[in-house]
Amino acid sequence: MSRFNLALRLLWRDSRTGELTILILALVIAVTSSTAIALFSDRMKRTMTNQTAEFLAADLVIESPAPVPAEWLAKAMKLDLAQARTADFSSVLIEHDELLLAGIKAVSAAYPLRGFLKTTTGDYLTETITRNGPEKGTAWVEKRILPALKLNLGDPLTVGEKQLTISNIISYEPDKKGDFYSFSPRVMINDADLQATGIVQPGSHVHYFFQFTGEPKALAEFKRWLKPQLNPSQRILDINEDRPELGSALERAERYLGLSSIAVILISGVAIAMATRRYTERHFNATALLRCLGCKQNEILWLYSSQFVVLGLVASAVGCLLGWFAQEALFHLLRGLLPQQIASPGLLAVFFGFIIGMAVLLGFALPPLLRLKQVSPLRVLRRELEPLPSSAWLIYGLSLGIIGILIWKYTGDLKMTASILGTGLMTLLALGLLIYGLLNLTRKLLPSMSLTWRFGLQGLFRNSRASVSQILAFSLTLVAMVLSFTVRTDLIDNWQNQLPNNAPNHFALNIFPAQRAAFQQELQLQHITGSQFFPVVRGRLVEINHTPVQQIVSKDTQGENATHRELSLTWTKELPEENKIVAGSWWNNQQAGLVSVEQKLAESLKIKLGDLLKFTVGSQQINATVTSIRKLRWDTMKPNFYMIFSPGTLDAYPSTFITSFYLPEPQKNMLNTLVKKYPGTTILEVDFILQQFKTILAQLTQAINYLLYFALMAGFAVLFAAVYATLDNRIYEGALMRTLGANRSLLRKTHIIEFSMLGLISGLLAVVISEAIIYALYTQVMDMEYRPSLYLWAVIPCTGALFVGMAGCWGVRHVLNKSSLRILREQY
Amino acid sequence: MQTQVNQTSNNIIVTENLGKSVVTSEGTLHILSSIDLIIKSGESIAIVGESGSGKSTLISLLAGLDTPSTGSISINGKQLTSMNEDGRAALRNELIGFVFQSFQLLHSLTALENVMLPLELSGDKHAKAAATALLHRVGLSHRLTHTPKQLSGGEQQRVALARAFVTKPAILFADEPTGNLDSKTGATIVDLLFELNLENHTTLILVTHDHTLAARCQRTIQLDSGCMV
Repeated sequence: MSRFNLALRLLWRDSRTGELTILILALVIAVTSSTAIALFSDRMKRTMTNQTAEFLAADLVIESPAPVPAEWLAKAMKLDLAQARTADFSSVLIEHDELLLAGIKAVSAAYPLRGFLKTTTGDYLTETITRNGPEKGTAWVEKRILPALKLNLGDPLTVGEKQLTISNIISYEPDKKGDFYSFSPRVMINDADLQATGIVQPGSHVHYFFQFTGEPKALAEFKRWLKPQLNPSQRILDINEDRPELGSALERAERYLGLSSIAVILISGVAIAMATRRYTERHFNATALLRCLGCKQNEILWLYSSQFVVLGLVASAVGCLLGWFAQEALFHLLRGLLPQQIASPGLLAVFFGFIIGMAVLLGFALPPLLRLKQVSPLRVLRRELEPLPSSAWLIYGLSLGIIGILIWKYTGDLKMTASILGTGLMTLLALGLLIYGLLNLTRKLLPSMSLTWRFGLQGLFRNSRASVSQILAFSLTLVAMVLSFTVRTDLIDNWQNQLPNNAPNHFALNIFPAQRAAFQQELQLQHITGSQFFPVVRGRLVEINHTPVQQIVSKDTQGENATHRELSLTWTKELPEENKIVAGSWWNNQQAGLVSVEQKLAESLKIKLGDLLKFTVGSQQINATVTSIRKLRWDTMKPNFYMIFSPGTLDAYPSTFITSFYLPEPQKNMLNTLVKKYPGTTILEVDFILQQFKTILAQLTQAINYLLYFALMAGFAVLFAAVYATLDNRIYEGALMRTLGANRSLLRKTHIIEFSMLGLISGLLAVVISEAIIYALYTQVMDMEYRPSLYLWAVIPCTGALFVGMAGCWGVRHVLNKSSLRILREQY
Repeated sequence: MQTQVNQTSNNIIVTENLGKSVVTSEGTLHILSSIDLIIKSGESIAIVGESGSGKSTLISLLAGLDTPSTGSISINGKQLTSMNEDGRAALRNELIGFVFQSFQLLHSLTALENVMLPLELSGDKHAKAAATALLHRVGLSHRLTHTPKQLSGGEQQRVALARAFVTKPAILFADEPTGNLDSKTGATIVDLLFELNLENHTTLILVTHDHTLAARCQRTIQLDSGCMV
């Protein structure tokens, strides 16, 4: 205990003199940012998950053509899951001699479990948010219904055999789906009236959605328990399975948040390592004296490490507190963009910040600290005796280990971890050697340079090893900043491209071939931009190379889903936009009997080029040979197909056409015209989905922007701190040069040259490393297109030169303003 | 803290055939050779010689700060050469005090804290009282809370003397204690050193260039090119 007290006393005495300032600052920055980001991303993630759950109006949904067994609901109740139910079906409404096929949705009292409904009694400007569906005896209808059936609010509406009163116009429902049931205008009724309508009879075509919310653990358990009991006509929906396009946006955003955390921690880690190194070097003499006074090696280690543990605890506590405030401030800034209900901060995330603080301290500070154990007591007599540096394996191994664990923890993705670590490390190693070589090479040019340049550059060459490690440290900091910036910019661009403002918001299906030209003309007349018209033949994949598909697919895969239902088969001469051939080639001639398969389905069904696929269309069979595999984006809101055939293959079969188009809000009335003119055509409205999707992306974008600012701020702060940590020797040498007659101007120029070169080289190195990591990240992990960014090559080295130059010159300004003698004395 | 000195023998330091050599690119360099030395308890010894004669190496070997290449050293009956670094550290803590030419005070500590440090390291509960008393004894009771930067060279060396004597070591090694001081201040420090030495019955081994200072010691060991002459 007395040793610990002594450690505390020494720590306190050290802190009075400002020895620990940089170290504490670096640690506080690391913990503040990791806590803030952990808290922020945790809350954001939960908020987003809650919000995306609104798409389902629940966290988990069972879709079933019939009511599910009572024991399932009992199990859900046992797990404390909240429950609601909706039943969707089509029914023809007849009022005032007008007929309209409507999508009826009967909702239970608890619906919606997530999200809200919006209704209005007049125009769309006075929408009311409500968390419950219509009351018994009333019906909410979509606006289009009223003119179509010549009805007004308050009028009676007969659904099946039940007469209901129209009480509201429904303008938004969270779980509106782009499927058949939502093409027709919505009528929402209370579940209690369902029986009385008499529409739902055994054998009726009804889609039941049993919705559940609750604790993630309970939901996971429920899902596990449920899965084996589902029959082929039932399916579980959750956000990842039902909305892959949203799931992937969220996943990428989460990965970005994780990446930012790692970037900030890496930046702080570098600062901690540099600050500890400075601390260690400044404590060689004190340690030698302690050794001389009888301290054993282990006691030295214990003395310093217990000081660092205390330091870590205090700085982590402060960092956690600041991190808490920082994320609160972040949410405050974002309040206009975020949903009303924000998930509460998780204490676990705070604890995580604390752990991060200690882990980063251990990983980055321990190796330099261990050097103190090696200080020889003889140093009291011979100052030049320096302890051996800690083993490189220990230094890099420990920090890499910590970084590796962090990346893995944040991403939960070993592939990403290995990708970042592997590429980064290899590049670092190769470039470290390259810089070392270049420095030594440039040294040879020194004699031909002017005095100022010679002195400036000599600062770098004097200790090549130290310079290389400083350059690598600055580079790492810059890399972290570049990564945060570039990935964020590309991610946002990618999202914006994904959903341009005029992304199609309507699908038209079942356009008969005879009506196709007229339909197309109608759209053109109204100046509506539409996508290509694709012919569609409904068919089922039955065999692959004469083996039934059921024997090939594994459970719960995309392949299984695709083989359980009829697929939309199409043919086209040209490769559709947004499709990319990844294997084989597109047909150039008009040969029939060829098929191009979507990449993920091909992987799931193990389909290869040259395989023979057999399809059934109605009672007939078609064979086609696979000549290409396509990659496509499902989130373009344009018709996409698993199977595209060569022209001539499907000609003999009855087909309809599908297209998508963008219809601006003011032109919405045109839908009624279209529906009336082409009664057989199904029109799906996907505005709501698009709007929700865009809102979420906007929120994520904003959140990510703030995170970036945070990372950049931390980066610049740490860059300054890190430059400071390397100044001791330079200040001493500068003072010495002044005593030998160097004037201020020479010294100033020398410093500018030295630090700017340091920054410039670090910047160049940072660009190379960043490009390598970004390439690996995009191609291996984030599934984004890699494009080298030329502007980085100009901006980053200049930024490096400017900031390291400024920080360095600011740090050594004492040499110019203070008495040299005083500096020299203080150094001793 | 009164150090227990081996009463069975009056010899506190005994060396036999002590030598130190280092291997350089130009062959083996012998810094010290065949040093046979017996130092009695309470004796004061001056080690003199020119720069590079091996004085500092000898003192570092005797204090257990470095290990010899040949021969043996026994301190207070214990074989120093058979101990590892931690064993030597324990022995230093128990028996030895130091005064250095460059004072070697810790800049982050006050005068009082510097003097308290060795006592704190050995877990002494009364470190503060003892350190205060000794600083009073060396005439620095008004400088207790000053850091080394706020003290003159002479004052710093007085703090160093107080720190050396505060553990009442059996042996005190002084490496050019006046080397960084002007002659007047140096003389004051030397007076103080001998006074304290007398009061504490310490064995004093000092390295010096200064023959006047050497003359105040009971015995002088002259080194030349690593050998006793």
